[in-house]
Amino acid sequence: MPPSPPDSLGYKPLDGGWGWMVVFGAHISIGFAYSTPKVLSIFFKAIQEDLGASYSEIAWISSIMLAVMYAGGPVSSMLVSRFGSRPIVMLGGLMCGVSMVTASFGNSIVYIYFFIGIIGGCGLSLNLNASLTIISKYFLARRPLANGLAMAGSPVFLCLVAPLNQYLLDKFGWRGSLLILGALMLNCCVAGALMRPVLLPCNSCASQKMVGEEPNMCNTKVKKGCMKEAKNFLNVSLFKNRGFVFYLIGNMMFIFGAYAPIVFLPAYAISQGVDEYSAAYLLSIMGFVDMFVRPGTGLLANSKWIRPRIQYLFSFAMVFNGTCHLLCPLLNTHAFLIGYTVFFGIGFGMVFALIFECLMDLMGSQRFPSAVGMVTIIECFPMLLGPPTAGLLVDICGDYKYLFFMCGSVIVAGGLFLFVTNIYNYHMLDKEKMEKDREQKEKPSENQEQVSLSEVQI
Amino acid sequence: MKLLWAVSALLLSCCRANASTAPNIITEPSEVSNQTSATLSCNLTESSLPIKGSFWTHNGKVVDNSNSAASTPFTSLNLEKITHHSAGIYECVFMTDPKVKQTIEVKTLPHVTTHKHSEHGNENSEAVMVCESHGYPLPTDWTWFKEVDDMQTPIINGTSDKYEIKSTPNKTTLTINDLSINSDIGDYVCSGTNELGTASDKIHLRVRSRLAALWPFLGIVAEVIILVAIIFIYEKRRKPDEVNDDDDSGSAPLKSNSNANHKDKNVRQRNSN
Repeated sequence: MPPSPPDSLGYKPLDGGWGWMVVFGAHISIGFAYSTPKVLSIFFKAIQEDLGASYSEIAWISSIMLAVMYAGGPVSSMLVSRFGSRPIVMLGGLMCGVSMVTASFGNSIVYIYFFIGIIGGCGLSLNLNASLTIISKYFLARRPLANGLAMAGSPVFLCLVAPLNQYLLDKFGWRGSLLILGALMLNCCVAGALMRPVLLPCNSCASQKMVGEEPNMCNTKVKKGCMKEAKNFLNVSLFKNRGFVFYLIGNMMFIFGAYAPIVFLPAYAISQGVDEYSAAYLLSIMGFVDMFVRPGTGLLANSKWIRPRIQYLFSFAMVFNGTCHLLCPLLNTHAFLIGYTVFFGIGFGMVFALIFECLMDLMGSQRFPSAVGMVTIIECFPMLLGPPTAGLLVDICGDYKYLFFMCGSVIVAGGLFLFVTNIYNYHMLDKEKMEKDREQKEKPSENQEQVSLSEVQI
Repeated sequence: MKLLWAVSALLLSCCRANASTAPNIITEPSEVSNQTSATLSCNLTESSLPIKGSFWTHNGKVVDNSNSAASTPFTSLNLEKITHHSAGIYECVFMTDPKVKQTIEVKTLPHVTTHKHSEHGNENSEAVMVCESHGYPLPTDWTWFKEVDDMQTPIINGTSDKYEIKSTPNKTTLTINDLSINSDIGDYVCSGTNELGTASDKIHLRVRSRLAALWPFLGIVAEVIILVAIIFIYEKRRKPDEVNDDDDSGSAPLKSNSNANHKDKNVRQRNSN
């Protein structure tokens, strides 16, 4: 099966105008999706004291939320393909808001697992998938920049919501804070309202019906039949696409090593003699750098030299990230650690700005929803396994440097793997394109006949 | 008779042993109370045992740099600034065989502190306030006061269900049940007394109303509804313009096909399917 060309949208996307409002909406939606599981940890101590739960029981809240958010990918992509992005993001926002509000009345830890973890996680997964999909519908030429701006939502919201949560906790207690946080998450509904479905000019509807496979694009959202959806959402044929398989493997390696350094960085800094306050500050530095690097990378990826070979930039970003981790154990002083954090922020931001852009680049807009669903559910496993494995390594070896070596080497290996396989993939794509061009040149007369036929019928 | 001789000989030998080997340490001063600095000294008298050295301990832990290998029967320790950290039980130990030591107590006023100077509680729920004391000797008496307009009224344990006081020498806990916004907000003073005097610290209690978070919540929900309404209304108003554009391009198939001819890709895609 030939890889789908990136411009298989069938229409010229807006690449601007209302598209920037859509990017803003996606920014908010993605921001809540990625930052919420992390910032909830601010409430953990208060919830622990009130409900009498143990430390590990409390930590499950974030893990369940992340797991459900990623695992809900295929369902979410099916819903997005069927109904379009707007209703799904609004539904996601409503679910998140309701889940937080209900959780604020909770009296047992299982109640909180269900409402924040499962319902909240489902809501976030709907948000994430739908936001990414709508960007691919609105942008093509400026898509890397749009992706970079939208993905920047994650560090921005992390930096905004974390101190806000601390303030709310002091002023209202954890129940009041969850109530207000739920209301804030309803703003995802506003973000969803901004995601106007793409209204397309009605081009030769009759011929579309005849062709059958093409979705009906006349003046409506992109819709498909129900059966096609069921087949699409766990689309195993995705695995026949070699670009997709390479991307998936490289990504899994990255995700496995990506989060553990973040989790253990403050502890490592403290073990190197940095005081607690400065150690916590390191993560804020990383978030701050990340905020600017993501749109910057989007802009860079959009340039005409990089765009055609964007997968190489992605592999470079991964190798850069991994190398940072490998060099970290050599840095012992506070100043060097700050330098490491800055470079880590740069590498992390670069990878995340490109992570979905590269998938869109490989799969094209039509198959992106099901592809991203498949990717997120598979990424669930390395994401949940990574930090505990790293923690186990620290426990066994007694030294943090092995954690950094492990994460760095896995990420560098993933980056190099992607680099090599993309050389092969681009080569094969070029070859296939040349063959296709040759075929098209050989049958120009047939094209003319088909066009005149459709004219007559209309 | 023989038994009597044996017993008296035993007693005499014991007495002689005591008399000849009983060391006596004279401490100067014997006790330190409420002073800002002091020099503790020990003089070992009436001992014929060889002295291999001496050192000082503070509350059981050896004091840094107090180890001396001199075999003089005199040792001293200088306390430049006596705070609640340096208060406690000091012992001078002479390394004879067996060791001999003497105790000097350094006493100060109690040092009463609280971890949080501002406590929160939820209405109709309970609030717990904790005060701790460090130093020596630890307070024997703890009292809690509620401060209203510079007047301190003591809180008496056990008179009502509202207040519960639990005290140990180094910690005291005041639990206030069924908080009410009207009467329970204010400053609470914990006061600890030992033989030298009294010290206290203050905690401010804030009571959160149950519905405190409701107003921001309703405000934000209202904002969300208004914004969504604005966005949809704006879109409905714009829609008539867009529909006109669609009609123009849809009603002229020739035009659309000529467009397609300019962009060969579109033509190719439809046909390739």
